[in-house]
Amino acid sequence: MRSRKSLYLFTIPALLVIAVFFVYPIGLTLQMSFTNYSGIGVAETVGWKNYDRIFSRSRYLDEIKITLWFTVIVVTALTVTGLFFAAMLHRLPLIRNFARAALYTPAMMSFVVVGYIWQFIYSPLNGGLNVALRQIGLGALEQNWLGDPAIALYAVAATQIWMFSGFTCAIFLAGFAGIPEEINEAGRLEGASSWQRFRYLELPLLGPSFTVSIILTTIGTLKTFELPYILTKGGPDGATRTLSIEIIDNLFGQYKFGFASALSIIMLIVVLAVAFVQNKVLRDRENVT
Amino acid sequence: MSLSDTATPLPRDRKAARDLLQKQAKSVLVHGVILFLVALMLLPLFYMLMMSFKTGTEIAQDPLGLPNSLYWGNYMNALASMGYVRSVANSLGITISVIIVVVLVGAMAAYPLARIPNRASRVIVMIMALGLATPNFVTITPIYVIFRDLGLLDSYLGIVLAFAALKLPLAVFFYTGFIAAIPMELEEAARLDNCTNWQVFWHVIRPMLAPVTATLSLFVMLMVWNDFTYPLLLLTDKDKFTVMIAVYRFVGATGIDPTMLFPAAVLGSLPLLILFAVFQRQIVSGATAGAVK
Repeated sequence: MRSRKSLYLFTIPALLVIAVFFVYPIGLTLQMSFTNYSGIGVAETVGWKNYDRIFSRSRYLDEIKITLWFTVIVVTALTVTGLFFAAMLHRLPLIRNFARAALYTPAMMSFVVVGYIWQFIYSPLNGGLNVALRQIGLGALEQNWLGDPAIALYAVAATQIWMFSGFTCAIFLAGFAGIPEEINEAGRLEGASSWQRFRYLELPLLGPSFTVSIILTTIGTLKTFELPYILTKGGPDGATRTLSIEIIDNLFGQYKFGFASALSIIMLIVVLAVAFVQNKVLRDRENVT
Repeated sequence: MSLSDTATPLPRDRKAARDLLQKQAKSVLVHGVILFLVALMLLPLFYMLMMSFKTGTEIAQDPLGLPNSLYWGNYMNALASMGYVRSVANSLGITISVIIVVVLVGAMAAYPLARIPNRASRVIVMIMALGLATPNFVTITPIYVIFRDLGLLDSYLGIVLAFAALKLPLAVFFYTGFIAAIPMELEEAARLDNCTNWQVFWHVIRPMLAPVTATLSLFVMLMVWNDFTYPLLLLTDKDKFTVMIAVYRFVGATGIDPTMLFPAAVLGSLPLLILFAVFQRQIVSGATAGAVK
């Protein structure tokens, strides 16, 4: 079977691409993270100095906390809204396809466009949100949505949730579609209400959908960069400064390639750790129920 | 189906009639509530469209009102100064190039992986999974440095390769699953005719891959059109901008002027929204299938 072995020649271009764009860069990031490389000249090895800096300054620890908290809010809300819409639409076949597509539309748009639209919606004077609140007599709730450090992170999170609810809804709808009709039929014959069927029959069978939805949205949200970059540039007062914004800032604002690399490694560790724990917990849960 | 089925169109007595009525009213109500919530979710898009047709004075005087008339002046201004046509051409050219690279390289790699189920194949699949799982912020600094040293910054070749690398692992997974399901008989017939591996791949396997290629092409198109980070870092030459970076630079330069922002936002999203309107079923189920795998 000589010809069979030689088939592996076909994988060479792909392996080359992976080597050049993933394997080598990860190695290079690791190596640069122990230097003070500034993009030009020779990189001096500085040992653990970059990492020391990250873990000894509240600024960077705060950014890690902000990134994680932002992820918790967004992932929780996306799971709840996606599940809610999917559970309802599963029961409403008449409008299911239309509503699924409509909800998915924001996910088809670019972060740039979504960021700019919402920046205007949130703007303090003529912004759509404040004007709308005023017009329905809730003027007291007006806020400087993106300018108030106590609110800005939630405003950015709301935008991200708006954008991807349709995505989690589609994942859960696929999960609902995979539930055998007989199970619900049996529930209906037993006189179970719609809520009871959801709670005791469907929910336990949606384990895999939860796993996929939560892991994907978590990985996507942990590296959040575009929305806070466009909406707030990380401000006000660092309230929306995620790890990714810090990386890009160090890279292109200050040319601290070595330090940016160390931040990237921290990010990789955070993403891998979270993904690993989630995967384990969620899969175990799937097996129990 | 039995006679006592509650959905019988001709209820026997008044209680049944009332129950049916109640049930229908409840159903109308639930549909109404859900449609209202969906409309609420679409409100920002409606807002974008509406704002894009209002003059500056209208926006200042009545920020939420409907436009008095469809004022196309904003679009004219945006079109005149954002380099829209050029950026659309760039995005299209980059999309097509990325599709060619991803499809060819991905399908080639998938062929042996699908046909030789041994340890070596599993290791290669694992390496691909590594590519899929790596956040691009981990590789962005070295890629910038490598591109700079190779003179690939600000070049079409560079951005095409960078994008292609991002979608390649997904392509390999899709094609591997698909090729594994193609019956071996077709290939064996070709081999008896003394075809080389390449001839078998090109003449027997490749023509059957169209469904995967279509899904993949949609994904690539979405990425090239919408991605912001790579072009932001790798392109500084205005003539090579993709659509989104053109929108970003243009709106940023006007200081979030609504008469510029909203037409630019509409122009930037329109092609993909049209694509979505036509292919929404394929895109949504493709995305969820990709997710569930």
